Amino acid sequence: MDEAVRRAGRATRHLAVGFGLGCACYVLLGIVLVGLAATALVVGAGMLPETVMTVRRFAGFERRRVAARTGVPVPDSYPPLTGPLAERLRNATTDPSTYRDLRWVVAQLVYGLLLFYIALIVWVPALLVDAVWCGLCRRRPVALPVLDFLADLECVWARALLTPSDSAGLARRVEELAETRAGAVAAHGAELRRIERDLHDGAQARLVSLSMRIGLAKRAYDADPVAARALLDEAQDQAEEALAELRHVVRGIHPPVLTDRGLDGAVRALAASSGLDVEVVTAEGDTDGPRAPAAVEAAAYFAVAEALTNAAKHSGAERATVTLDRTPRLLRVRVRDEGRGGAEAALGRGAGALGAGPEHPLGTGLFGIRRRVAALDGTVRVTSPDGGPTEIEVELPCAW
Amino acid sequence: MRVVIAEDNALLREGLVLLLRSSGHEVAGVAATGPEILPLLVEQRPDAAVLDVRMPPGFRDEGLRAALEARVQLPGLPVLVLSQYVEETYAAELLGGGARGVGYLLKDRVGRVDEFLDALGRVAEGGTALDPEVVTELMSRRRRDDPLATLTPREREVLQLMAEGHDNATIANSLVITERSVHKHIGNVFTKLELPPSDSGHRRVRAVLAYLNA
Repeated sequence: MDEAVRRAGRATRHLAVGFGLGCACYVLLGIVLVGLAATALVVGAGMLPETVMTVRRFAGFERRRVAARTGVPVPDSYPPLTGPLAERLRNATTDPSTYRDLRWVVAQLVYGLLLFYIALIVWVPALLVDAVWCGLCRRRPVALPVLDFLADLECVWARALLTPSDSAGLARRVEELAETRAGAVAAHGAELRRIERDLHDGAQARLVSLSMRIGLAKRAYDADPVAARALLDEAQDQAEEALAELRHVVRGIHPPVLTDRGLDGAVRALAASSGLDVEVVTAEGDTDGPRAPAAVEAAAYFAVAEALTNAAKHSGAERATVTLDRTPRLLRVRVRDEGRGGAEAALGRGAGALGAGPEHPLGTGLFGIRRRVAALDGTVRVTSPDGGPTEIEVELPCAW
Repeated sequence: MRVVIAEDNALLREGLVLLLRSSGHEVAGVAATGPEILPLLVEQRPDAAVLDVRMPPGFRDEGLRAALEARVQLPGLPVLVLSQYVEETYAAELLGGGARGVGYLLKDRVGRVDEFLDALGRVAEGGTALDPEVVTELMSRRRRDDPLATLTPREREVLQLMAEGHDNATIANSLVITERSVHKHIGNVFTKLELPPSDSGHRRVRAVLAYLNA
């Protein structure tokens, strides 16, 4: 009997929290409606993704609650809400998880309140019935477990409403892969076009002009040696400029130091040439291990280069730490500086501010880094609260 | 001067041999792969070695490693390292054992035949030849309260040329100023950077590079 009362008490507490959550859902529903209205009026478009995030937090709370009571975790599957506003809006409004959560919000509002009312009504009669049933007849309690049943019912409903379908998870993964693949193809194409343009406008043009000057010098050779000499001087200048441009293009494709020294050595070279005092930390024995695919190494290298450049330019830090880390399934690079932080806002502006414009060719700038990394199915995480520290973490999946 | 050349690209190798022979030097031997370099240097004991960084079989930095090894095994052997691209780290490694008889240049510089031969001569005599691009990179590093920012443009030019390993006469020539004013500029640079005054020669180069590398 005591045990039954304790269990009923726990169940009632669960239902009470559910009731509170139901009330909160009522408010939340109001916020969602205001958010929708604000978005329709365009002015408050920024509010909707935030609202969706709040709904997710509520749903996350209920998932944890159900998991705690039943001992079985409730899976979730959310697309990240990051990037420029338009993208966040699109993700927030088109993803099935949003509608699944909203369905649960409405349902929780109804059954959260209802089940708690029922529990309150049931308590007194249940106590009386079981007092008689157990106390006088020495039987197992029958009425108090009803409260337990009500709490379990709440869990079952919440689980049913909040669990994404298997196919939804797979669909999400397929969508992600399709997206990163399209990104990879686009990035690759843009990269090829950039290289072609660089070579065409740069080295190639210079070589043509160089050849022309040599031709003119040959014609002038006998008649006007002074002019021939001047032409040859110009020709040599052109040749040197062509070489310098080729070097620049090569560096942008695949930095030679990466070939020579591997990621480890290349990152150390970056650290050495940075104006900051950079410490490079690598796990023991990593340098002798097999190397990551060239594209993965290059992405990691460019990410470190970009992070260190930003740190030197904007953070005000004197020191930075680069950590290279390998797990059997991925390569992790972390760049941390003790500067003033606040990079999140600057970096969060996304494509608009740091976009792949003419001055930011693909592969440079944080946008380029994100593209490069996303194309390899990796992730970029930036944490930079005001006052620092700033940490940029890049994870690139690869098998060793 | 007897020179050993290590370069895997036949075209460039022949070019270098032609260039050195036509300017009165003797080519004591040529290596086309990384592992050949050291034995050749030990056997020939040349007056100077001209080494390419990237060599077979690995096509990584075999030439540079051979150069570093040669400086340990054959102390005082002047080594001029050529590369398709320059990397500060490589320069720092080469200069690690002191700036005497070390050169590190972009391959492009070979085209300026006189300047290239001048650099090779400098290295062979125990001087230094550092590629302008390396020096520019070193000088463009951001530092806190950068004393380099207090230099006048002319003083920066002088510092750049000093770091490349040139002597006063060459600096005066390339800036079209008198040696006396070069001397004055150098004095100013050393005062502003708070370096101990130093005569010309490799000690000065080392002081300047140590400062820039710090």
